[in-house]
Amino acid sequence: MKTGKCNLSIACLIALVAIVFAVPGQLFGQTAAAESSAGDRTSATRWSVQVDQVESGNVDLAYSFQIAIYENLVVELNKTKQFQQVFRDGDVTVSEAPNVLVLKTTAEKYTPGSETRRAVTTVSGATKLTVRSQLLTREGKVVLERTVNGDVRFFGSNLRATHNLARNIAKTITQSSWSSSGQPTTTVTGQL
Amino acid sequence: MDLFVVSRSHSAAYHPDRRHALWLSTVLLCFSLTAPAQQTSQRGDTRAPFSTRATHLLGFANARDNGTGTLSVQGDSLQFQQNGRPGTEVKIASVRDVFLGAESKQVGGLPMTLGKTAAPFGGGRVVSVFAHKKYDTLTLQYVDADQGIHGAIFQLAKGQGELAKSELIARGVIVSSHQDQSTKESVTEATHENR
Repeated sequence: MKTGKCNLSIACLIALVAIVFAVPGQLFGQTAAAESSAGDRTSATRWSVQVDQVESGNVDLAYSFQIAIYENLVVELNKTKQFQQVFRDGDVTVSEAPNVLVLKTTAEKYTPGSETRRAVTTVSGATKLTVRSQLLTREGKVVLERTVNGDVRFFGSNLRATHNLARNIAKTITQSSWSSSGQPTTTVTGQL
Repeated sequence: MDLFVVSRSHSAAYHPDRRHALWLSTVLLCFSLTAPAQQTSQRGDTRAPFSTRATHLLGFANARDNGTGTLSVQGDSLQFQQNGRPGTEVKIASVRDVFLGAESKQVGGLPMTLGKTAAPFGGGRVVSVFAHKKYDTLTLQYVDADQGIHGAIFQLAKGQGELAKSELIARGVIVSSHQDQSTKESVTEATHENR
């Protein structure tokens, strides 16, 4: 009886050791596979993007908001590592880059909020922004078109809405089917 | 004798006055000639540097976001010096536009927010009604060496934004015809807060 228990313990120990050694190996295999697929994608065509200044359209959008969206877009698009280079509007070196897409952003809706109202009431005073984002080729062909929202509802200053909006736009571009194909052939339209 | 005395006293009284008048007019003439030269030199680089406390919200050169420091206009550059960090600067000639705005913000930052959230019986909300302050926002648009457009936003104490803008205009920055948002935003904020 005692020998049986001892054997069982040894078997458990061996199983445990096997699991411990097997799992990292499996994880390593997965990482390697993911890296190789990412490598395949990058080896296809690496596109660069030029971020245009935000157009206010028919919306009475404060200039500080337009600048904040533009600056946050540059930062967030750089963070995604989706594009080879992120150019700013007016950059003269963009003409030397081979594959460049242009990101145009037009404000569609803006609800000015109040930080004090948010702090006092919690449910009101939200700053809301809705923009139309278009990713175009140099020839003007629309590759991706989405309506994206960004808002600040509870904590933070009004300008935080621009940060959330830029993050959402970058996320939309990353998750779009254009992004996975790596080719600007299809037009994706929708709302996030 | 009397005649001689009188004539002598006349000459003694007249000649020194004439000499003084001549000397005075020469000095005045010299002053008037040197005054324009002095004015010209004052208009040059000897203009007193402008500086104010500011919070950098985003976009200025390599400055850290939401960092507090000193925004100054010195010579031909606009500098932002954060506390205990090397300063960053942008040439005034590269600034393309300046806009003013106004914001009302809750004071105290994250600690205050957490404190207000933790306060029982909605006490934090009452504090929030009074714990806000109005600021000016100074939005700049400038270009880098490759002509790429950058934007920077600073938060300044109320009234300082106008001074900073005036200083930049005085140093040659051309402001576009966009209307400053300060008045408009203040009205919007006030309307929201009165509701």
